Amino acid sequence: MSKHKTNRLKTTKLIGPMVDKHWADLRTAKKRGEMVAWCSGPMFIFPYAMGMKCHFMAGYAAYAGGRGAADDLLKIAESEGDMLDTCSYHKAHMGMAMAIKKGIPVREDVILPMPDLLITGRLCTEMSHYAEGLYRRMDINVVGIDTPPPVNESLIPNLEKYCEDQVRGSLIPRVEEICGKSFDYDRLIEIMAILKETCILRNECWEYFKKIPSPWTLWDYGVSIAPVFYMMGSPDAVPYYTQLRDELAERAEKGIGAIEPEKYRVYWDGWLPWGFLGQFSRKMTDLGIVPLVGRYPWEFFPHPETIDLNGDPIKEFVKQVYSNGGLAKQNLPNMSLPSIQKWVEEYSLDGLIMFSSKSCRMWNLGHPDFIKAIEKKHNIPGVVIEGDMVDSRMNSFGQIDTRLEALAEMMAARKK
Amino acid sequence: MNNIKYFAGIDIGSLFSKVVIIDEKSNIKAYSVLQSGAVYKGAAETAMNNTLAKAGLSMGDISYIISTGYGRARVPFADSQVTEISCHGRGANFVFPEVRTIIDIGGQDSKVIEVNKEGKAVKFAMNDKCAAGTGRFLEVMAVSLGVDLGEMSTLAEKSKTDVEISSMCTVFAESEVISLFAQGTEKADIALGVYRSIARRVTGLFGQVGKKEKVAMTGGVAKSKGMVEALEKSIKTTLMVPEEPQIMGALGAALIAREKFAQA
Repeated sequence: MSKHKTNRLKTTKLIGPMVDKHWADLRTAKKRGEMVAWCSGPMFIFPYAMGMKCHFMAGYAAYAGGRGAADDLLKIAESEGDMLDTCSYHKAHMGMAMAIKKGIPVREDVILPMPDLLITGRLCTEMSHYAEGLYRRMDINVVGIDTPPPVNESLIPNLEKYCEDQVRGSLIPRVEEICGKSFDYDRLIEIMAILKETCILRNECWEYFKKIPSPWTLWDYGVSIAPVFYMMGSPDAVPYYTQLRDELAERAEKGIGAIEPEKYRVYWDGWLPWGFLGQFSRKMTDLGIVPLVGRYPWEFFPHPETIDLNGDPIKEFVKQVYSNGGLAKQNLPNMSLPSIQKWVEEYSLDGLIMFSSKSCRMWNLGHPDFIKAIEKKHNIPGVVIEGDMVDSRMNSFGQIDTRLEALAEMMAARKK
Repeated sequence: MNNIKYFAGIDIGSLFSKVVIIDEKSNIKAYSVLQSGAVYKGAAETAMNNTLAKAGLSMGDISYIISTGYGRARVPFADSQVTEISCHGRGANFVFPEVRTIIDIGGQDSKVIEVNKEGKAVKFAMNDKCAAGTGRFLEVMAVSLGVDLGEMSTLAEKSKTDVEISSMCTVFAESEVISLFAQGTEKADIALGVYRSIARRVTGLFGQVGKKEKVAMTGGVAKSKGMVEALEKSIKTTLMVPEEPQIMGALGAALIAREKFAQA
């Protein structure tokens, strides 16, 4: 019997119906004569501004994983030739596409209409495979937007310009051609305004991670991530985050923790284990471990206050990917280590969990280096946990349990 | 009436179950090492009863029991559980107080642990999910060579030529061994190649944790002289090996049991 309990937030219970509606609308879009875009990066804001229904790669994989459908999709992709350790997000899509093409039965709620346009944000090499695979097998229109991670700050102006040129020179003309009308800059600004307001509210919520005990966990933020990303511009986004902020304020005022009693406060690096949040959550709650902050969830528009709604909207959006943001910057260890070190103090962290996805090399870069550097400076322990975002075969909970328990033992030894 | 208090540590590993009983001065009263089999609960009871019989004690004489190892949750009579990472660290540091780094190659995993002067784990690295670099890997390789683990070590001493064997996957490595046989490679060279393959994997983990002298090796694999030598060569450090390396996890668990009882 655990000595610790979870206090679920009321507000996060609202997210399920919102997300379900989003995917249901997408599934039926073609029947209503609407066009559909699939995107693997933040650039879906551009087709979205043109009224296209937009799908976001990681969001879909997380959705399919959360519904227990990922294993079937991955199996189909592998039977069509994708390798076991290829990005599981990519494979979930290939599996879905091949299920449609060959009539292989899978759950209906994870079948999406084939897109009129695929925008691949090439942050890693897997994204090129993703685009190539879908283009070759499904003959889909593809626009690739390179968003290379900067090795250092001095490269950012050039990369920003490169990204902006791709949006102006190839993405927008292509979207205009497919939609048969001029690009709707007013709608783009409108979406950015909602995004800005939502992310400012989100940042107010994020501040509550600093409270001891913390009134919410990183998992709570994980399930709340859709309105600040793939549902950006949704009319539900601002009311959702307003209610969430108010509930967190009330909890903080009353000293109610998300996990009680709160024993250890930890940083979580890498992807969230979307398909297995419940299993991780139960184990960590049993040990009194509260996951609080992480660079992946933080990468979504961390500085919304810098969005100038009177400026050039394309420039303003690209800045959120580079100079004013985290989307491309957070992926390289040297760019993100200073943030993590700062968070150790700001959020009173006791330990670090590096979630090392077996099918995503990019987010695993630097894990041992992070642990070494932070252990040296802050004297807190860290552990690498192998797994996957949605592929159950990559998660061995016997081994995960041992690593989490060992982390708790090391944190206990250092706290004394 | 016996007023002496006794404490037990029980380490249910994937291949072997180990039990150590100590008295209140941390003297080892008795220990056992038995094969785990498929039913951890049965293995725990058998190993415990066996050790109690050796010590001339009954279950009622044991004041506190800690279980560890992969089967730690399947020991119904344990008072609490502690991971094998903390237990191996504590056991090795008790036997060799100057030790700060411990390499443990167990049946299912291999790990490198850094401990503080009290023997508490402060850092560790473990192998990933593949069995390459573990005791199980060594067993599979020994079967392929048609020798037992003791013979494999003696065999490796006769090696004259270096042979490379993959350390990425147990199944691939087994296929490689069969191919090497087909090519007429000497058994002795293959045996040493297997040790070097494991040493390469463990050296990577060792680098992640960082060398802090002195370094001990625990776990059943440490009984293999050939393995210890291959590892020493690879990490360029002399390894301290306890007389009975396989029981270090259970010993550490017993020591923690004594400590927990005192705190209760």
